[in-house]
Amino acid sequence: MENLMTQNTNQKKNYDFEFFGKGSEYFAIMIVNWLLTLVTLGLYYPWARAKRLRYVYGQTALNNERFHFAGTGKEMFRGFIKIILFYIAVMISYMVLLKVVKLPLLAILFLYLAFFAIIPFAIHGSFRYRMSRTSYRGIRFGYRGNRNEIVKKFFKWVFFTIITFGIYSAWLQMNIRKYTHQNIRYGDVEFSNNANGGDWLLLNLKGYFLTIITLGIYSFWWQSEIFAYYIDNMRMTKGEQRIKCSSTATGGGFFELLIVNFLITAFTLGFGKAWADMRTQKFIFDNVKMEGDINIDEIHQTEDEYTNAFGEDAMDFFEIDLA
Amino acid sequence: MKNTIDAKYYDGQSSAPLKAIVVLNDRTNEFHLQIAGEISFVWLLKDLQFEQYGHILEVRNTNYSDAILKIDDKYFSEKFYAAMKQNNSIDIHTRLLNLGLSKITAIAVCLLGLIVLAYFYVLPPIAEKTAALLPESFDNEIGNLFMDAFLRKNNIDTTKTKYLEQFAAELDLKNRNPLRFTVVKSKEVNAFALPNGQIVVFSAILENMESFEELVALLGHEASHVNYRHSIKMLCRNLAGYMTVSLIFSDVNGVMALLADNAQRLHSLSYSRGFEQEADEQGLEILMNNKVDPNGMVKLFEQLEKESNIYIPKIISSHPLTKERKDNMHKIISETVYEIKSNDKLNSIFEYIKN
Repeated sequence: MENLMTQNTNQKKNYDFEFFGKGSEYFAIMIVNWLLTLVTLGLYYPWARAKRLRYVYGQTALNNERFHFAGTGKEMFRGFIKIILFYIAVMISYMVLLKVVKLPLLAILFLYLAFFAIIPFAIHGSFRYRMSRTSYRGIRFGYRGNRNEIVKKFFKWVFFTIITFGIYSAWLQMNIRKYTHQNIRYGDVEFSNNANGGDWLLLNLKGYFLTIITLGIYSFWWQSEIFAYYIDNMRMTKGEQRIKCSSTATGGGFFELLIVNFLITAFTLGFGKAWADMRTQKFIFDNVKMEGDINIDEIHQTEDEYTNAFGEDAMDFFEIDLA
Repeated sequence: MKNTIDAKYYDGQSSAPLKAIVVLNDRTNEFHLQIAGEISFVWLLKDLQFEQYGHILEVRNTNYSDAILKIDDKYFSEKFYAAMKQNNSIDIHTRLLNLGLSKITAIAVCLLGLIVLAYFYVLPPIAEKTAALLPESFDNEIGNLFMDAFLRKNNIDTTKTKYLEQFAAELDLKNRNPLRFTVVKSKEVNAFALPNGQIVVFSAILENMESFEELVALLGHEASHVNYRHSIKMLCRNLAGYMTVSLIFSDVNGVMALLADNAQRLHSLSYSRGFEQEADEQGLEILMNNKVDPNGMVKLFEQLEKESNIYIPKIISSHPLTKERKDNMHKIISETVYEIKSNDKLNSIFEYIKN
């Protein structure tokens, strides 16, 4: 009897990603966003961003059920105001150091430190907000990372990066990825990531040199290796059940994607970017394969609601990309 | 009545889909739901948010934000949209989107057209008005800032500066505020005026001059830039231009922004040509008022033109179309009655400056 049970739950499940987004629809959203942002003198921007994200999430489906982004313009607008206040506070302190205390070196150092120090806070806030506003079948994602912990770790890794003349930056990047990913939850499903700095460094060194030797041609294969490294290291577990992700993307696939995207964008003076973006999303979801035995009909809600968009906006404000 | 439909329901507790029966009552603006043949409850349309994917309708209730009601029926979807519209529950973004791509694009093109018109016909006068509102202390501050930075990299020729001051003192440059003159040692053929009244002449441009009329022409031209506050007007114009451009392209991609940025730069260049012409004409008037041969201006241009065969000096690159400017000068000179007096004093100071 017990044997039968285990066999039953350990059965391989089907996971099928699909991306339905269409360039024309996305373009229409961009145009409406543009119109509304313009007539509100830019104030609509956070709402525009919410609309855009909601479309992209809503067009992404797993086993024919769509993802949902519940973030609102209001939340992101509040985050945006906080960012502006932070920026003003830093600038005022900078001016005081420069003009009143008259310590120009200290002032510049302060400026760099302030903008640098916000990075781990932004990463934390961004993950926390983005995950909490993402849901699938009514079950929320969540991020359980500890802010103080990632801030401390971040500065430790940055210190190592400095004393190794940058070599450690490969570990810095992968450690952040690992830390953030292993704190992602989807209901009672836990995420993890096996990436490590050494592999990442080798992968990139190889990609770099082969790209130079082949006069750039290898860059598409390098890109596909980076993508595969991101995807292949992702795992999900729920009790005894697990899912392993793998990439099916090839260098040739990236070559076609990027060249066609470039042509679409260039020959339409940039207006075709909506179509290029949708092709990229489709390419990504067509090339992520999940294998395992987690039953996605049996996930339970575990994550609390959370609506602070500070990090989300900080990432956007300083144009840091969350890969 | 086909307001009753089968649907799928996710309760926000588990990811398992449940069967639901939905009745839309469009008179009371309510949804009656029966879940899995057991639980029944009512959702008010005013609490609902929805996404439409083709025929598929995903409805969420803001009071229980995790629960999803999923309905796949074209007729019901349309009916629901109409009811929501009647209930004023559809935001402006969705309303615009539902106009269809061609109408949205038409609106966008019209709006863009209006902005472009405003950019060319409304912005310049506003920028000039703004410049007029700025106090002259602002001109001084900006000028001093620039001069300080400039002098850190360049050396003053004190003797020639003294002679140039004497030379300028002999002239009426129609200035309202005091002008200051400085000669810097440089191989570059250049001269410029700052909003604080500081006129900087590079030594190489002096060496190329053959007559004092050319120097009067140069000073007249630069003094006119100061008199008419060209730098400040330019600054206001550029700021306003960049604000417009960044407003238009705030949410659009980099390629377009780059194109627009360059267009803006080109436009400001042609605008600066307008200023150059004004300075030429006012400079010419200064020549005539001081009873100096106005052809000095033409000679100055010719000197600069010659120099440009060797390498392109800044004064020409930012003052293009020399031929056009020369023709303009010839035209004005031929149309104006003027008097020339020989001026030994200017001539002798000029000799000192040259040597």
